Amino acid sequence: MSGHILIQQPGNAVVTDLGRFRGPRFGLPVNGALDQYSARAANILAGNLDNDPLVEITALDFRMKAHSDILIAVTGAPLTLTVGGRPCSQWEPVSVRAGETVAIRGINRGLRAYLAVHGSVEAPTLLGSCAPDTVVGFGLQLKEGTTLLTRRSVGPVRQPYFDLPLFRLGLERPNMGQELMVDVTDGPDVAEFGDSAELLFTSEYAVSGRSNHIGLRLGGELPERTSNGEVLSRGVPVGAVEVPSREELLVLHRGRGVTAGYPVLAVVTSNGLDVLAQARPGDKVHFRKTTVAEATSAHRRSRAQLETLRESVNTVFGLLGIGCRPQWQDLPVAACS
Amino acid sequence: MSSLTAAPTEIYESGDSALRVVALAEASEDNWLTVHRLADWLESCGAEGLHGAVPTYDSVLVEFDPVLVSARQVRAFVKLGLLEMGRSAGSEATPREFDVPVVYGGDYGPDLEKVAEYQGISTEEVIRLHTEKTYTVRCLGAPAGSPMMDGPAFPKPVPRLKDPRLSVPAGAVAVAGRQAVIAPASAPGGWCVIGQTPLTVLNIRREPLVPYKPGDILRFRRIEAGEFDSYVGKELEPRP
Repeated sequence: MSGHILIQQPGNAVVTDLGRFRGPRFGLPVNGALDQYSARAANILAGNLDNDPLVEITALDFRMKAHSDILIAVTGAPLTLTVGGRPCSQWEPVSVRAGETVAIRGINRGLRAYLAVHGSVEAPTLLGSCAPDTVVGFGLQLKEGTTLLTRRSVGPVRQPYFDLPLFRLGLERPNMGQELMVDVTDGPDVAEFGDSAELLFTSEYAVSGRSNHIGLRLGGELPERTSNGEVLSRGVPVGAVEVPSREELLVLHRGRGVTAGYPVLAVVTSNGLDVLAQARPGDKVHFRKTTVAEATSAHRRSRAQLETLRESVNTVFGLLGIGCRPQWQDLPVAACS
Repeated sequence: MSSLTAAPTEIYESGDSALRVVALAEASEDNWLTVHRLADWLESCGAEGLHGAVPTYDSVLVEFDPVLVSARQVRAFVKLGLLEMGRSAGSEATPREFDVPVVYGGDYGPDLEKVAEYQGISTEEVIRLHTEKTYTVRCLGAPAGSPMMDGPAFPKPVPRLKDPRLSVPAGAVAVAGRQAVIAPASAPGGWCVIGQTPLTVLNIRREPLVPYKPGDILRFRRIEAGEFDSYVGKELEPRP
Protein backbone atom coordinates (compact mmCIF):
# COMPACT_ATOMS: atom_id res chain seq x y z
CA MET A 1 0.00 0.00 0.00
CA SER A 2 1.36 3.41 -0.88
CA GLY A 3 0.63 6.70 0.76
CA HIS A 4 1.65 10.29 0.70
CA ILE A 5 3.45 12.93 2.67
CA LEU A 6 2.69 16.65 2.52
CA ILE A 7 5.56 19.11 2.88
CA GLN A 8 4.47 21.89 5.23
CA GLN A 9 7.75 23.75 5.74
CA PRO A 10 10.41 22.87 3.17
CA GLY A 11 13.32 24.88 4.59
CA ASN A 12 16.09 23.88 2.21
CA ALA A 13 15.36 20.26 1.30
CA VAL A 14 15.70 18.07 -1.78
CA VAL A 15 15.05 14.45 -2.69
CA THR A 16 18.35 12.78 -3.53
CA ASP A 17 20.22 9.47 -3.54
CA LEU A 18 23.86 8.41 -3.48
CA GLY A 19 24.59 10.08 -6.82
CA ARG A 20 24.60 9.98 -10.59
CA PHE A 21 27.53 7.61 -11.11
CA ARG A 22 27.01 7.52 -14.89
CA GLY A 23 27.11 11.34 -15.03
CA PRO A 24 30.83 12.17 -15.15
CA ARG A 25 31.32 10.33 -18.46
CA PHE A 26 28.75 12.71 -19.96
CA GLY A 27 30.11 15.84 -18.30
CA LEU A 28 27.67 15.84 -15.37
CA PRO A 29 28.86 15.81 -11.77
CA VAL A 30 28.00 12.80 -9.58
CA ASN A 31 26.10 14.94 -7.02
CA GLY A 32 23.93 13.02 -4.52
CA ALA A 33 23.91 13.05 -0.72
CA LEU A 34 26.91 15.02 0.48
CA ASP A 35 27.23 13.06 3.74
CA GLN A 36 27.11 9.57 2.28
CA TYR A 37 27.50 7.76 5.61
CA SER A 38 24.50 9.51 7.15
CA ALA A 39 22.41 9.01 3.99
CA ARG A 40 23.19 5.29 3.85
CA ALA A 41 22.50 4.97 7.58
CA ALA A 42 19.09 6.67 7.24
CA ASN A 43 18.04 4.33 4.45
CA ILE A 44 19.31 1.24 6.28
CA LEU A 45 17.47 2.28 9.46
CA ALA A 46 14.30 2.68 7.40
CA GLY A 47 14.74 -0.79 5.90
CA ASN A 48 15.59 0.55 2.44
CA LEU A 49 18.37 -0.01 -0.05
CA ASP A 50 21.30 2.38 0.44
CA ASN A 51 20.66 4.12 -2.87
CA ASP A 52 16.91 4.66 -2.44
CA PRO A 53 15.64 8.26 -2.78
CA LEU A 54 15.56 10.14 0.55
CA VAL A 55 15.29 13.73 1.76
CA GLU A 56 18.42 15.83 2.34
CA ILE A 57 17.72 18.78 4.64
CA THR A 58 20.33 21.54 4.70
CA ALA A 59 20.56 23.95 7.67
CA LEU A 60 16.92 25.09 7.90
CA ASP A 61 13.92 23.81 9.87
CA PHE A 62 11.65 21.32 8.12
CA ARG A 63 8.11 20.05 8.67
CA MET A 64 5.97 17.44 6.91
CA LYS A 65 2.66 15.71 7.57
CA ALA A 66 2.13 11.98 6.99
CA HIS A 67 -1.16 11.06 5.35
CA SER A 68 -0.66 7.36 6.01
CA ASP A 69 1.18 5.35 8.65
CA ILE A 70 4.87 5.42 7.84
CA LEU A 71 8.23 4.51 9.33
CA ILE A 72 11.07 7.03 9.08
CA ALA A 73 14.68 7.46 10.20
CA VAL A 74 16.58 10.73 10.58
CA THR A 75 20.38 10.93 10.62
CA GLY A 76 23.13 13.48 9.95
CA ALA A 77 23.56 16.72 11.88
CA PRO A 78 22.26 16.75 15.48
CA LEU A 79 18.78 18.29 15.67
CA THR A 80 15.46 18.23 17.49
CA LEU A 81 13.07 15.68 16.01
CA THR A 82 9.42 15.58 17.02
CA VAL A 83 6.59 13.41 15.72
CA GLY A 84 3.10 14.55 16.61
CA GLY A 85 4.79 16.80 19.18
CA ARG A 86 6.63 13.90 20.90
CA PRO A 87 10.43 14.16 21.00
CA CYS A 88 11.97 11.23 19.11
CA SER A 89 15.46 9.84 18.65
CA GLN A 90 17.65 10.43 15.66
CA TRP A 91 19.55 7.43 14.25
CA GLU A 92 16.65 5.08 15.09
CA PRO A 93 13.59 3.98 13.14
CA VAL A 94 10.58 6.09 14.18
CA SER A 95 6.94 5.16 13.68
CA VAL A 96 4.68 7.96 12.39
CA ARG A 97 0.88 7.63 12.32
CA ALA A 98 -1.36 9.03 9.65
CA GLY A 99 -2.11 12.68 10.39
CA GLU A 100 1.00 13.29 12.50
CA THR A 101 3.49 16.03 11.73
CA VAL A 102 7.23 15.34 11.64
CA ALA A 103 9.25 18.42 12.62
CA ILE A 104 13.00 18.91 12.37
CA ARG A 105 14.41 21.95 14.13
CA GLY A 106 17.61 23.47 15.39
CA ILE A 107 20.37 22.26 13.11
CA ASN A 108 23.20 24.33 14.55
CA ARG A 109 26.09 21.90 14.78
CA GLY A 110 26.71 20.20 11.47
CA LEU A 111 24.75 21.27 8.41
CA ARG A 112 22.87 18.42 6.73
CA ALA A 113 20.28 15.92 7.94
CA TYR A 114 18.82 12.91 6.11
CA LEU A 115 15.25 11.67 6.37
CA ALA A 116 14.45 8.28 4.89
CA VAL A 117 10.95 6.78 4.67
CA HIS A 118 10.44 3.02 4.73
CA GLY A 119 9.66 2.03 1.15
CA SER A 120 11.23 5.29 -0.05
CA VAL A 121 9.56 8.04 -2.08
CA GLU A 122 8.89 8.54 -5.78
CA ALA A 123 11.24 10.91 -7.63
CA PRO A 124 12.07 11.50 -11.31
CA THR A 125 15.46 10.25 -12.50
CA LEU A 126 18.11 11.44 -14.94
CA LEU A 127 20.78 8.96 -16.06
CA GLY A 128 19.51 6.56 -13.41
CA SER A 129 19.63 8.93 -10.43
CA CYS A 130 17.19 11.34 -8.75
CA ALA A 131 20.05 13.49 -7.37
CA PRO A 132 19.44 17.17 -8.18
CA ASP A 133 21.80 18.83 -10.64
CA THR A 134 21.55 22.59 -10.24
CA VAL A 135 23.53 23.29 -13.42
CA VAL A 136 21.26 21.42 -15.82
CA GLY A 137 18.18 22.32 -13.76
CA PHE A 138 17.16 18.83 -12.70
CA GLY A 139 15.84 17.56 -9.39
CA LEU A 140 13.07 17.58 -6.82
CA GLN A 141 13.51 20.64 -4.60
CA LEU A 142 10.78 20.50 -1.95
CA LYS A 143 8.34 23.38 -1.66
CA GLU A 144 5.45 24.13 0.68
CA GLY A 145 2.62 21.94 -0.53
CA THR A 146 4.80 19.40 -2.36
CA THR A 147 3.34 15.90 -2.04
CA LEU A 148 5.75 12.99 -1.83
CA LEU A 149 4.39 9.58 -2.77
CA THR A 150 5.66 6.85 -0.49
CA ARG A 151 6.08 3.46 -2.02
CA ARG A 152 4.92 1.56 1.05
CA SER A 153 2.98 2.11 4.26
CA VAL A 154 3.83 0.61 7.66
CA GLY A 155 1.27 0.11 10.39
CA PRO A 156 2.01 1.85 13.69
CA VAL A 157 4.82 0.20 15.61
CA ARG A 158 4.39 0.61 19.36
CA GLN A 159 6.20 -0.97 22.24
CA PRO A 160 3.40 -3.06 23.76
CA TYR A 161 4.12 -2.51 27.48
CA PHE A 162 5.94 0.77 28.06
CA ASP A 163 6.23 3.71 25.73
CA LEU A 164 9.97 3.17 25.53
CA PRO A 165 11.98 3.66 22.40
CA LEU A 166 11.66 0.54 20.30
CA PHE A 167 15.10 0.37 18.89
CA ARG A 168 18.53 0.76 20.40
CA LEU A 169 20.70 -0.03 17.46
CA GLY A 170 23.78 1.77 18.71
CA LEU A 171 25.35 2.92 15.47
CA GLU A 172 28.46 5.06 15.71
CA ARG A 173 27.44 8.62 14.98
CA PRO A 174 29.83 10.96 13.25
CA ASN A 175 31.45 13.64 15.42
CA MET A 176 30.31 17.11 14.59
CA GLY A 177 31.85 20.23 16.00
CA GLN A 178 33.35 23.51 14.99
CA GLU A 179 36.84 22.04 14.68
CA LEU A 180 37.00 19.51 11.88
CA MET A 181 39.82 17.10 11.06
CA VAL A 182 39.85 16.16 7.40
CA ASP A 183 42.09 13.44 5.95
CA VAL A 184 43.65 13.98 2.52
CA THR A 185 46.07 12.11 0.28
CA ASP A 186 48.66 13.76 -1.94
CA GLY A 187 47.12 14.99 -5.19
CA PRO A 188 48.48 14.06 -8.62
CA ASP A 189 49.95 17.58 -9.00
CA VAL A 190 51.40 18.04 -5.51
CA ALA A 191 54.90 18.49 -6.96
CA GLU A 192 53.77 21.72 -8.64
CA PHE A 193 53.45 23.34 -5.23
CA GLY A 194 56.98 22.56 -4.01
CA ASP A 195 57.61 23.02 -0.28
CA SER A 196 54.57 25.26 0.08
CA ALA A 197 52.38 22.12 -0.14
CA GLU A 198 53.20 21.52 3.56
CA LEU A 199 51.25 24.66 4.51
CA LEU A 200 48.10 22.63 4.00
CA PHE A 201 48.97 20.58 7.08
CA THR A 202 50.32 23.32 9.34
CA SER A 203 47.61 25.94 8.79
CA GLU A 204 44.09 26.29 10.09
CA TYR A 205 41.38 27.07 7.53
CA ALA A 206 38.01 28.77 8.02
CA VAL A 207 34.97 27.70 5.99
CA SER A 208 33.66 30.61 3.91
CA GLY A 209 29.97 31.40 3.52
CA ARG A 210 30.42 31.02 -0.23
CA SER A 211 30.61 27.23 0.12
CA ASN A 212 28.03 24.84 -1.30
CA HIS A 213 27.56 21.35 -2.75
CA ILE A 214 29.90 22.20 -5.63
CA GLY A 215 32.80 23.12 -3.41
CA LEU A 216 33.92 24.57 -0.09
CA ARG A 217 35.98 27.73 -0.03
CA LEU A 218 38.44 27.91 2.83
CA GLY A 219 40.39 30.93 4.06
CA GLY A 220 43.89 30.51 5.51
CA GLU A 221 47.52 30.27 4.45
CA LEU A 222 47.68 29.13 0.86
CA PRO A 223 50.20 26.86 -0.81
CA GLU A 224 51.46 28.42 -4.04
CA ARG A 225 51.99 26.88 -7.41
CA THR A 226 55.60 27.11 -8.52
CA SER A 227 55.05 26.41 -12.22
CA ASN A 228 52.91 28.62 -14.40
CA GLY A 229 52.18 26.64 -17.56
CA GLU A 230 48.80 26.32 -19.25
CA VAL A 231 46.98 23.23 -17.98
CA LEU A 232 44.71 21.28 -20.33
CA SER A 233 41.29 20.49 -18.90
CA ARG A 234 41.32 17.19 -17.05
CA GLY A 235 38.84 15.13 -15.10
CA VAL A 236 39.05 16.18 -11.45
CA PRO A 237 38.12 13.83 -8.60
CA VAL A 238 35.52 14.72 -5.98
CA GLY A 239 37.57 15.95 -3.02
CA ALA A 240 40.19 17.73 -5.15
CA VAL A 241 41.94 20.52 -3.24
CA GLU A 242 42.89 23.39 -5.57
CA VAL A 243 44.26 26.91 -5.19
CA PRO A 244 42.47 28.81 -7.97
CA SER A 245 42.98 32.27 -6.48
CA ARG A 246 45.16 34.14 -4.00
CA GLU A 247 42.28 34.41 -1.55
CA GLU A 248 40.96 30.95 -0.89
CA LEU A 249 41.52 27.25 -1.04
CA LEU A 250 38.84 25.37 -3.00
CA VAL A 251 37.81 21.85 -2.01
CA LEU A 252 35.53 20.29 -4.62
CA HIS A 253 32.58 18.26 -3.39
CA ARG A 254 30.03 16.06 -5.18
CA GLY A 255 28.55 18.85 -7.31
CA ARG A 256 31.94 19.66 -8.85
CA GLY A 257 32.34 20.27 -12.56
CA VAL A 258 33.92 17.08 -13.87
CA THR A 259 36.72 18.83 -15.77
CA ALA A 260 38.97 21.72 -14.77
CA GLY A 261 42.33 23.22 -15.56
CA TYR A 262 43.77 23.75 -12.08
CA PRO A 263 46.47 21.53 -10.57
CA VAL A 264 45.20 19.16 -7.85
CA LEU A 265 47.22 19.67 -4.66
CA ALA A 266 45.52 17.03 -2.52
CA VAL A 267 42.39 14.87 -2.51
CA VAL A 268 40.05 14.56 0.47
CA THR A 269 39.33 10.93 1.44
CA SER A 270 35.84 9.42 1.18
CA ASN A 271 35.41 9.67 4.95
CA GLY A 272 36.80 13.22 4.92
CA LEU A 273 34.16 14.27 2.38
CA ASP A 274 31.45 13.23 4.85
CA VAL A 275 33.10 15.43 7.48
CA LEU A 276 33.19 18.40 5.07
CA ALA A 277 29.54 17.80 4.14
CA GLN A 278 28.70 18.88 7.69
CA ALA A 279 31.02 21.93 7.81
CA ARG A 280 29.22 25.20 8.53
CA PRO A 281 30.47 28.64 7.50
CA GLY A 282 32.94 29.75 10.16
CA ASP A 283 33.92 26.21 11.21
CA LYS A 284 37.66 25.52 11.40
CA VAL A 285 39.27 22.83 9.26
CA HIS A 286 42.59 21.07 9.80
CA PHE A 287 43.96 18.76 7.12
CA ARG A 288 45.84 15.58 8.00
CA LYS A 289 47.92 13.63 5.52
CA THR A 290 47.15 9.96 4.99
CA THR A 291 47.80 7.33 2.34
CA VAL A 292 45.38 5.83 -0.16
CA ALA A 293 45.76 2.44 1.54
CA GLU A 294 44.91 3.86 4.97
CA ALA A 295 42.05 5.94 3.61
CA THR A 296 40.60 2.86 1.91
CA SER A 297 40.82 0.80 5.13
CA ALA A 298 39.16 3.58 7.14
CA HIS A 299 36.35 3.85 4.61
CA ARG A 300 35.83 0.08 4.54
CA ARG A 301 35.64 0.04 8.35
CA SER A 302 32.85 2.62 8.36
CA ARG A 303 30.98 0.75 5.63
CA ALA A 304 31.36 -2.50 7.57
CA GLN A 305 29.63 -0.80 10.54
CA LEU A 306 26.74 0.00 8.25
CA GLU A 307 26.56 -3.66 7.22
CA THR A 308 26.35 -4.65 10.89
CA LEU A 309 23.56 -2.12 11.31
CA ARG A 310 21.74 -3.60 8.33
CA GLU A 311 21.78 -7.04 9.96
CA SER A 312 20.39 -5.68 13.25
CA VAL A 313 17.67 -3.75 11.44
CA ASN A 314 16.65 -6.76 9.40
CA THR A 315 16.47 -8.90 12.54
CA VAL A 316 14.37 -6.35 14.45
CA PHE A 317 12.10 -5.64 11.49
CA GLY A 318 11.65 -9.36 10.96
CA LEU A 319 10.61 -9.86 14.60
CA LEU A 320 8.19 -6.94 14.43
CA GLY A 321 6.79 -8.18 11.14
CA ILE A 322 7.63 -4.96 9.34
CA GLY A 323 7.34 -5.85 5.71
CA CYS A 324 10.87 -5.58 4.54
CA ARG A 325 11.93 -7.34 1.43
CA PRO A 326 15.17 -9.24 1.74
CA GLN A 327 17.86 -6.61 1.40
CA TRP A 328 21.07 -8.37 2.17
CA GLN A 329 24.00 -6.90 0.40
CA ASP A 330 26.98 -9.15 0.64
CA LEU A 331 30.20 -7.31 1.26
CA PRO A 332 32.79 -8.42 -1.23
CA VAL A 333 35.70 -10.36 0.16
CA ALA A 334 38.01 -7.44 -0.54
CA ALA A 335 36.14 -5.30 1.99
CA CYS A 336 36.79 -7.71 4.83
CA SER A 337 40.55 -7.87 4.47
CA MET B 1 40.25 3.74 -36.78
CA SER B 2 41.78 0.31 -36.80
CA SER B 3 44.46 -0.97 -34.50
CA LEU B 4 46.11 1.39 -32.12
CA THR B 5 49.22 1.01 -30.06
CA ALA B 6 48.60 2.72 -26.76
CA ALA B 7 50.71 5.77 -26.03
CA PRO B 8 53.05 5.41 -23.04
CA THR B 9 51.19 6.36 -19.89
CA GLU B 10 51.70 7.31 -16.30
CA ILE B 11 49.14 6.52 -13.58
CA TYR B 12 48.69 8.91 -10.66
CA GLU B 13 46.84 8.38 -7.40
CA SER B 14 43.91 10.77 -7.11
CA GLY B 15 42.45 10.02 -3.72
CA ASP B 16 40.92 6.73 -2.51
CA SER B 17 38.27 6.60 -5.27
CA ALA B 18 40.02 7.70 -8.47
CA LEU B 19 43.14 7.35 -10.59
CA ARG B 20 44.42 9.75 -13.23
CA VAL B 21 45.98 8.14 -16.28
CA VAL B 22 48.06 10.51 -18.42
CA ALA B 23 49.22 9.64 -21.96
CA LEU B 24 52.72 10.82 -22.75
CA ALA B 25 53.18 10.42 -26.53
CA GLU B 26 54.58 13.36 -28.51
CA ALA B 27 51.57 13.54 -30.82
CA SER B 28 48.50 14.91 -29.04
CA GLU B 29 46.28 12.90 -31.42
CA ASP B 30 47.82 9.62 -30.15
CA ASN B 31 47.25 10.70 -26.57
CA TRP B 32 43.65 11.60 -27.25
CA LEU B 33 42.96 8.28 -29.02
CA THR B 34 44.64 6.35 -26.22
CA VAL B 35 42.68 7.91 -23.38
CA HIS B 36 39.34 7.64 -25.20
CA ARG B 37 39.94 4.04 -26.24
CA LEU B 38 40.97 3.22 -22.68
CA ALA B 39 37.84 4.91 -21.30
CA ASP B 40 35.66 2.91 -23.73
CA TRP B 41 37.39 -0.31 -22.74
CA LEU B 42 36.97 0.40 -19.02
CA GLU B 43 33.28 1.25 -19.53
CA SER B 44 32.65 -2.00 -21.35
CA CYS B 45 34.86 -4.41 -19.36
CA GLY B 46 32.17 -4.80 -16.72
CA ALA B 47 34.58 -4.79 -13.80
CA GLU B 48 32.76 -4.62 -10.49
CA GLY B 49 33.17 -1.37 -8.60
CA LEU B 50 34.21 0.80 -11.55
CA HIS B 51 31.91 3.84 -11.70
CA GLY B 52 33.24 5.09 -15.01
CA ALA B 53 35.96 6.97 -16.81
CA VAL B 54 36.23 10.65 -17.74
CA PRO B 55 38.54 11.02 -20.76
CA THR B 56 39.67 14.50 -21.84
CA TYR B 57 42.63 15.48 -24.07
CA ASP B 58 45.61 13.57 -22.73
CA SER B 59 44.22 12.06 -19.56
CA VAL B 60 41.42 9.94 -18.19
CA LEU B 61 40.05 10.02 -14.66
CA VAL B 62 38.97 6.53 -13.58
CA GLU B 63 36.43 6.55 -10.73
CA PHE B 64 35.63 3.56 -8.54
CA ASP B 65 33.99 2.45 -5.30
CA PRO B 66 36.84 1.80 -2.85
CA VAL B 67 34.72 -0.72 -0.93
CA LEU B 68 34.40 -2.96 -3.98
CA VAL B 69 37.86 -2.49 -5.51
CA SER B 70 41.12 -0.95 -4.37
CA ALA B 71 43.21 1.63 -6.20
CA ARG B 72 45.78 -1.12 -6.70
CA GLN B 73 43.26 -3.40 -8.43
CA VAL B 74 42.02 -0.58 -10.65
CA ARG B 75 45.61 0.22 -11.61
CA ALA B 76 45.95 -3.39 -12.77
CA PHE B 77 42.71 -3.08 -14.79
CA VAL B 78 44.02 0.05 -16.46
CA LYS B 79 47.25 -1.71 -17.45
CA LEU B 80 45.26 -4.61 -18.83
CA GLY B 81 43.04 -2.18 -20.73
CA LEU B 82 46.04 -0.47 -22.28
CA LEU B 83 47.16 -3.86 -23.64
CA GLU B 84 43.73 -5.10 -24.71
CA MET B 85 42.21 -2.00 -26.27
CA GLY B 86 44.61 -1.99 -29.22
CA ARG B 87 43.51 -5.48 -30.20
CA SER B 88 39.83 -4.75 -30.52
CA ALA B 89 38.79 -3.35 -33.87
CA GLY B 90 37.83 0.31 -33.74
CA SER B 91 34.14 0.56 -33.01
CA GLU B 92 33.96 4.32 -33.43
CA ALA B 93 31.14 5.51 -35.66
CA THR B 94 31.80 7.87 -38.55
CA PRO B 95 31.98 11.38 -37.09
CA ARG B 96 28.81 13.41 -37.48
CA GLU B 97 28.98 17.08 -38.41
CA PHE B 98 27.28 19.97 -36.64
CA ASP B 99 26.77 23.47 -37.93
CA VAL B 100 26.64 26.07 -35.12
CA PRO B 101 25.27 29.56 -35.91
CA VAL B 102 26.89 32.23 -33.70
CA VAL B 103 26.29 35.93 -33.08
CA TYR B 104 29.73 37.40 -32.27
CA GLY B 105 30.50 40.39 -30.04
CA GLY B 106 28.27 42.90 -28.28
CA ASP B 107 26.11 41.49 -25.50
CA TYR B 108 26.40 38.07 -27.12
CA GLY B 109 30.20 38.03 -26.91
CA PRO B 110 31.27 40.51 -24.22
CA ASP B 111 34.96 39.46 -24.32
CA LEU B 112 35.44 39.62 -28.11
CA GLU B 113 37.24 42.98 -27.99
CA LYS B 114 39.40 41.96 -25.04
CA VAL B 115 40.51 38.82 -26.90
CA ALA B 116 41.27 40.83 -30.06
CA GLU B 117 43.26 43.40 -28.12
CA TYR B 118 45.27 40.75 -26.26
CA GLN B 119 46.03 38.92 -29.52
CA GLY B 120 46.92 42.20 -31.27
CA ILE B 121 44.45 41.53 -34.09
CA SER B 122 41.08 42.98 -35.09
CA THR B 123 37.78 41.57 -33.85
CA GLU B 124 37.01 40.64 -37.49
CA GLU B 125 40.22 38.61 -37.55
CA VAL B 126 39.25 36.84 -34.30
CA ILE B 127 35.89 35.91 -35.87
CA ARG B 128 37.59 34.81 -39.09
CA LEU B 129 40.03 32.53 -37.23
CA HIS B 130 37.20 31.14 -35.08
CA THR B 131 34.91 30.34 -38.03
CA GLU B 132 37.51 29.03 -40.47
CA LYS B 133 38.49 26.07 -38.35
CA THR B 134 36.89 22.63 -38.27
CA TYR B 135 36.65 21.46 -34.67
CA THR B 136 36.80 17.92 -33.36
CA VAL B 137 34.92 17.39 -30.09
CA ARG B 138 37.73 16.14 -27.85
CA CYS B 139 35.64 15.37 -24.78
CA LEU B 140 32.53 16.26 -22.82
CA GLY B 141 33.35 18.53 -19.93
CA ALA B 142 31.97 20.87 -17.31
CA PRO B 143 29.46 22.35 -17.27
CA ALA B 144 26.75 19.97 -18.44
CA GLY B 145 28.54 18.06 -21.20
CA SER B 146 30.27 21.02 -22.86
CA PRO B 147 31.99 20.08 -26.15
CA MET B 148 35.68 20.69 -25.39
CA MET B 149 37.70 21.39 -28.55
CA ASP B 150 41.16 22.51 -29.63
CA GLY B 151 40.97 26.27 -30.03
CA PRO B 152 41.35 28.49 -33.10
CA ALA B 153 44.78 29.37 -34.50
CA PHE B 154 45.21 32.53 -32.41
CA PRO B 155 48.76 33.89 -32.06
CA LYS B 156 48.78 33.28 -28.27
CA PRO B 157 46.89 31.23 -25.68
CA VAL B 158 43.91 33.15 -24.29
CA PRO B 159 44.19 33.93 -20.55
CA ARG B 160 41.21 33.05 -18.37
CA LEU B 161 39.25 35.92 -16.82
CA LYS B 162 40.71 37.26 -13.56
CA ASP B 163 37.23 37.42 -12.08
CA PRO B 164 35.16 34.52 -13.37
CA ARG B 165 31.54 35.44 -14.16
CA LEU B 166 28.93 34.17 -11.72
CA SER B 167 26.71 33.23 -14.63
CA VAL B 168 27.44 32.62 -18.31
CA PRO B 169 24.30 32.00 -20.41
CA ALA B 170 23.52 28.74 -22.17
CA GLY B 171 24.85 28.83 -25.73
CA ALA B 172 27.89 30.98 -24.85
CA VAL B 173 30.75 30.37 -27.28
CA ALA B 174 34.04 30.77 -25.43
CA VAL B 175 37.80 30.35 -25.70
CA ALA B 176 40.57 29.89 -23.10
CA GLY B 177 44.15 28.77 -23.34
CA ARG B 178 44.31 26.76 -26.58
CA GLN B 179 40.77 25.46 -26.14
CA ALA B 180 37.30 26.33 -27.44
CA VAL B 181 33.89 25.43 -26.05
CA ILE B 182 30.12 25.99 -26.13
CA ALA B 183 28.25 26.19 -22.79
CA PRO B 184 25.18 23.90 -22.96
CA ALA B 185 23.75 25.32 -19.73
CA SER B 186 24.01 28.52 -17.75
CA ALA B 187 26.84 28.26 -15.21
CA PRO B 188 29.68 30.28 -13.66
CA GLY B 189 32.66 30.54 -15.99
CA GLY B 190 36.14 32.00 -16.35
CA TRP B 191 36.54 31.59 -20.12
CA CYS B 192 36.40 34.51 -22.58
CA VAL B 193 32.95 34.63 -24.20
CA ILE B 194 33.20 35.84 -27.81
CA GLY B 195 29.73 34.92 -29.05
CA GLN B 196 26.52 32.99 -28.45
CA THR B 197 24.54 30.42 -30.37
CA PRO B 198 20.74 30.66 -30.23
CA LEU B 199 20.39 26.87 -30.60
CA THR B 200 19.41 24.66 -27.68
CA VAL B 201 22.36 22.36 -26.93
CA LEU B 202 21.22 20.55 -23.78
CA ASN B 203 17.96 18.65 -23.45
CA ILE B 204 17.55 16.78 -20.19
CA ARG B 205 14.38 15.07 -21.40
CA ARG B 206 16.28 12.82 -23.79
CA GLU B 207 19.39 10.67 -23.73
CA PRO B 208 22.06 11.50 -24.58
CA LEU B 209 21.55 14.94 -23.07
CA VAL B 210 23.79 16.62 -25.64
CA PRO B 211 23.69 15.64 -29.35
CA TYR B 212 27.45 15.33 -30.04
CA LYS B 213 30.05 12.96 -28.69
CA PRO B 214 33.84 12.87 -28.70
CA GLY B 215 35.12 12.56 -32.26
CA ASP B 216 32.23 14.50 -33.85
CA ILE B 217 32.91 17.62 -35.94
CA LEU B 218 31.67 21.16 -35.23
CA ARG B 219 31.82 24.27 -37.41
CA PHE B 220 30.89 27.80 -36.33
CA ARG B 221 29.00 30.02 -38.77
CA ARG B 222 28.55 33.74 -38.24
CA ILE B 223 25.00 35.11 -38.14
CA GLU B 224 23.81 38.65 -37.44
CA ALA B 225 22.20 39.70 -34.16
CA GLY B 226 18.91 40.25 -36.02
CA GLU B 227 18.79 36.57 -36.97
CA PHE B 228 19.24 35.31 -33.39
CA ASP B 229 15.55 35.07 -32.52
CA SER B 230 14.66 33.08 -35.62
CA TYR B 231 16.83 30.19 -34.28
CA VAL B 232 15.66 30.31 -30.68
CA GLY B 233 13.94 27.08 -29.61
CA LYS B 234 15.64 24.98 -32.30
CA GLU B 235 17.95 22.18 -31.20
CA LEU B 236 21.53 21.62 -32.28
CA GLU B 237 21.32 18.62 -34.61
CA PRO B 238 23.77 16.79 -36.84
CA ARG B 239 23.72 17.52 -40.55
CA PRO B 240 21.65 14.94 -42.41
